[in-house]
Amino acid sequence: MSNDSKEQVTIPVSKIERAGHFVATGVKVGGNYVKHYAQKLINKDTSREELLQDNADDIYETLSHLKGSALKVAQMLSMDRGIMPKAYQDKFQLSQYSAPPLSSPLVLNTFMKTLGKTPGELFDTFDIKASNAASIGQVHQATKNGKKLAIKIQYPGVANSISSDLKIVKPFAVRIVGLAARDADKYFEEVESKLLEETDYTLELRRSMELSELCAHIPNLTFPKYYPEMSSAKIITMDWLEGMHMKDFIASNPTQEALNRAGQALWDFYDFQVHKLKTVHADPHPGNFLFKEDGTVSIFDFGCVKEIPKDFYDNYFLLTNQEIYKDEARVREVYNNLEMIHPTDTEQEINFFKPLFKKMIDMLTYPFTVSSFDFGDDTYFKEIYEYIEYVSNLKEVRESIKARGSRHSLYVNRTYYGLYNILNSLKSNIKTHGPLHFN
Amino acid sequence: MDKVTIRNKYIEYVLEQGHKPNSVFSFAKSLGMEETDFYTFYSSFEAIESEFWKSTFDEALEKLAKDKTYKGYGSKDKLLTFYFVWIAILRNNRSYVLSFKDAKIKSIALTNASLSAFKTAFLEYASQLVKEGTETKELKERKFISDKYHYGLWIQTMFVLNYWVNDNSANFEMTDAAIEKAVNLSFKLLADNTLDNVIDFGKFLFQKAV
Repeated sequence: MSNDSKEQVTIPVSKIERAGHFVATGVKVGGNYVKHYAQKLINKDTSREELLQDNADDIYETLSHLKGSALKVAQMLSMDRGIMPKAYQDKFQLSQYSAPPLSSPLVLNTFMKTLGKTPGELFDTFDIKASNAASIGQVHQATKNGKKLAIKIQYPGVANSISSDLKIVKPFAVRIVGLAARDADKYFEEVESKLLEETDYTLELRRSMELSELCAHIPNLTFPKYYPEMSSAKIITMDWLEGMHMKDFIASNPTQEALNRAGQALWDFYDFQVHKLKTVHADPHPGNFLFKEDGTVSIFDFGCVKEIPKDFYDNYFLLTNQEIYKDEARVREVYNNLEMIHPTDTEQEINFFKPLFKKMIDMLTYPFTVSSFDFGDDTYFKEIYEYIEYVSNLKEVRESIKARGSRHSLYVNRTYYGLYNILNSLKSNIKTHGPLHFN
Repeated sequence: MDKVTIRNKYIEYVLEQGHKPNSVFSFAKSLGMEETDFYTFYSSFEAIESEFWKSTFDEALEKLAKDKTYKGYGSKDKLLTFYFVWIAILRNNRSYVLSFKDAKIKSIALTNASLSAFKTAFLEYASQLVKEGTETKELKERKFISDKYHYGLWIQTMFVLNYWVNDNSANFEMTDAAIEKAVNLSFKLLADNTLDNVIDFGKFLFQKAV
């Protein structure tokens, strides 16, 4: 677990203060460009990498001051490895593990207020210093009856600041993702509702217990035990999990067998949730998993769970069915249901987007159509990134002001995106169980 | 009949009737006691109110005195703990506290006379914290100004009180955030050079004016 380098003194809560931070970043990022071009005048070899690194540092600095939902947005952005340059990725990955701590009196106050007891009364030992930070809270270590426990504590007032935060983050995110502002609304609503859910620890505890129970049969996965009697609206108590973060796991030179085992466990975990439960742990960033040497994976943090509506599910996975492409009217119907094309689109627009979607879908769903797939295959990912880049640079796409894709696709896509990225980093060879085994 | 019972009866009266008793005579009568006996405990209703505020402070300090963690804290964390504990005590009497709100400013006025005993006690407590803080270098010692720090902390206490008085969030969690922020900021101001810059600038403006 990483420790914080700088201690943060205050957490900006008011909107103006937060906005101030963003303005400061904007100015700094602007400054970095000036610096970049100035250096370029003197030294032609100055790399763009360096510029991006500077920008990432400043943006990260800002986001780390905002904690809460802004950090969460950083996490979402950091999922998009294909879209973000490497410098941004590394910094944002960091944001997934560490954010500055809160005062010890506040921690004690949260216990007294929501559980009516001090940590000293609840546990045999309690480490008042946070062992690491979650995006909307922090994690403490405790012991009880010889058992190591992890206690997740939420910052006060997080839910209140989410809406105002998102309004500030919106123009930033819109620029990075390249969406028309007014069309971004439906996505932001979706994100906002998910973020607000994440602040509801009572809901998270219930979901964590339900989903870990339902997924307990999947091989090579472990889930912590949760303790509802020591949890509240602001506190979740669970078993302390041992294991390495993904980066450390990969750096420890695990065998290919272990890598496959870890990847397979994760694949099966998501497969089962999406197709059987229709409810999915929609936060597959590496910070939510811990790996053991033999490739077993521990899963915690069910803060972000997406319930997939039946209607959306049916249409979404019809895309992987080659049969539908034989019937033009059927394809249009499915695209329409998924809001990828709109009734207001002209024939010309439809004819332009249809083949782009088809190619993209074919590439992305390829692992589903074969019985096993090597996610370590970088050429596959490179091809995807290049195609995404090609598409996003098309004049028609850049100038299209319509959002394409239903709001539900946001978290489902993100889940697969995150899963693919993790499997790629793990270089796992996965048994995907063959074409459309779930139908 | 003892002091605390009379105080509680008085609070009950105010909460249920929505106003103070018309006279000590009528209040004493409702308690079944002689007016003159009332004065052996309190000289006026204001004295009861004043003691109410002071008692919230005393209760908080009493709790803190028993707390082992508290003793190990630096000044900043001590003050944070004080606020959290004090607000928790006020919470038990929130309705009564709200009766002190000044309708015009929608807050409890800094000048509210019933706060005076509490203020005196808090200032003493705060100057003790400041003394500890300057000894451990948690706070910066400044000539002429350090002796005034505790007045600043009093203003901060009133800020916390009024934030809570007007807090509509569930479980008053925004007050928790406000306390954390306010104390962090004030200790930062008192600790590093920011305040010096402010003073320097103030002096400069003053010189120019003269």
